[in-house]
Amino acid sequence: MPDSIRIDNVKKVFEGRKDAVHAVGPMSLEIAKGEFVSLLGPSGCGKSTILMMVAGLIEATEGRVFIDGNQVTGPQTNIGIVFQSPVLMDWRDVLGNVLLQVEMRKLDREAYEAKATELLTSVGLKDFLHKRPYELSGGMQQRTAFCRALLHDPPLVLMDEPLGALDAMTREQLRRDLERMWLETGKTFVFVTHDIEEAIQLSDRIVLITPRPGKIDRIIKIDLPRPRDLSVVTSPEFARYVSSIKEVFMGYGVM
Amino acid sequence: MLKTLVRSIRTALLPVGALLLFLVLWEVLVRTLKVPRYILPAFSSVLQSLGTNLPALLKHTLVTAEETLCGFAISVLLGIPLAVVVAFSKFMRKTVYPAAVTLEMVPKIAFAPIFVVWLGFQFASKMVVVFLVCFFPILINAVFGFLSLEENLQRFSQSTGASPLRVFWKIRFPAALPEIFVGLKGAAINATVGATIAEWVGGNAGLGYAITSATGMFQTDLALASILVLTAVGLAMYGLVVILEARVLHWHISQRQGEI
Repeated sequence: MPDSIRIDNVKKVFEGRKDAVHAVGPMSLEIAKGEFVSLLGPSGCGKSTILMMVAGLIEATEGRVFIDGNQVTGPQTNIGIVFQSPVLMDWRDVLGNVLLQVEMRKLDREAYEAKATELLTSVGLKDFLHKRPYELSGGMQQRTAFCRALLHDPPLVLMDEPLGALDAMTREQLRRDLERMWLETGKTFVFVTHDIEEAIQLSDRIVLITPRPGKIDRIIKIDLPRPRDLSVVTSPEFARYVSSIKEVFMGYGVM
Repeated sequence: MLKTLVRSIRTALLPVGALLLFLVLWEVLVRTLKVPRYILPAFSSVLQSLGTNLPALLKHTLVTAEETLCGFAISVLLGIPLAVVVAFSKFMRKTVYPAAVTLEMVPKIAFAPIFVVWLGFQFASKMVVVFLVCFFPILINAVFGFLSLEENLQRFSQSTGASPLRVFWKIRFPAALPEIFVGLKGAAINATVGATIAEWVGGNAGLGYAITSATGMFQTDLALASILVLTAVGLAMYGLVVILEARVLHWHISQRQGEI
């Protein structure tokens, strides 16, 4: 498989008014096409910054990032992006929020209406197409954000703690949605999280990020069958992954 | 259904009842204490004066309403586009915007006599004062709204590759509407105040002029009747903006919340 993303000796230093904060790196990482990779690390370790540098929304201080062999020098547009908050427009209905993705790109709205409806139906929002975001639960809002990130069929989807603000039950439902979407589309998913179990349940590989400055401690390959439902979570292999990751973070004194 | 009807009648009755009580107290106290008419006329004589002077007062109302509406309209037509330019241009943000904030601190009413010197006693000098007291709240609130886009919304916008102009129409402008309406409401309140004071300073028509000319002849009842009409003009002006806001911003949290 060719690389989708190549992070090459990237370092990020935020220049503050008084002092500079060394947030990330130097670090290097390759992510293959169609892979589901999680960046897992404690709060404030710079994992979101890494994701934003891949998206071209934050500039690296040193080093280079490549997507499909092309160096990232500004905001990337051939991607889908999901944040911890759904960032929906309350003046548009659910369908309109998903279609905003193609309207912003000057694509024909009507040509994408069927696909948007199909995506929303696949996450159980068929009866909510013409509801406003504020009439939806937090989980439904985030599902809408997933659909918006996929509508234009990007090969790469970047997610910054998309399940972080949800309650446990909703989180599991949306995790399944995500896994299904990934399995169905074969896109590259890069997922930022601080939740160990969530990372194991979702990822092909987990990149463990150290506390600030965020560097790669190790990369753990997850060999578990998919879809990873309850039987996988209760398996001894799953428990072994959890404890080995916990051990790493305990070594840093963050657990 | 019946319950909500009863409740809405009750919520409406309370403020109306309080107002009626105030007016009855006014009437009774003025009559029993025999307060001289030129100091404080009874409410009934204010109403009487309103009735007998109605044709003249209507003429004055038209004058004031025209000044108010024109001044307000021009401040919207200039203020919002200028706010767009300020939001888009770093240079304008560093030059025009601080100047506007500073000018907002200047009591613009103080310029009213100078406008009379420049523009005469007629319509223009009044309208310019209304314009000035409306323009700054509209400009400043709109700029604030345009520049307050949530960080992740900006990131989403950038990830679509949309031009700044497209981001503006699809996201930045609708997201700024709540702040824009804060400015419009502030301007609507200022508008009648500006018109009234401009008419005091120099003029021969309008409700502000009616107040000064009535007090000059110790016709306090007519002055109070004029103020009553002026209040109605101000309420109508504010009410129009609030109705427009309710229609445009029906999705906004401020329009959806019932009781706090």
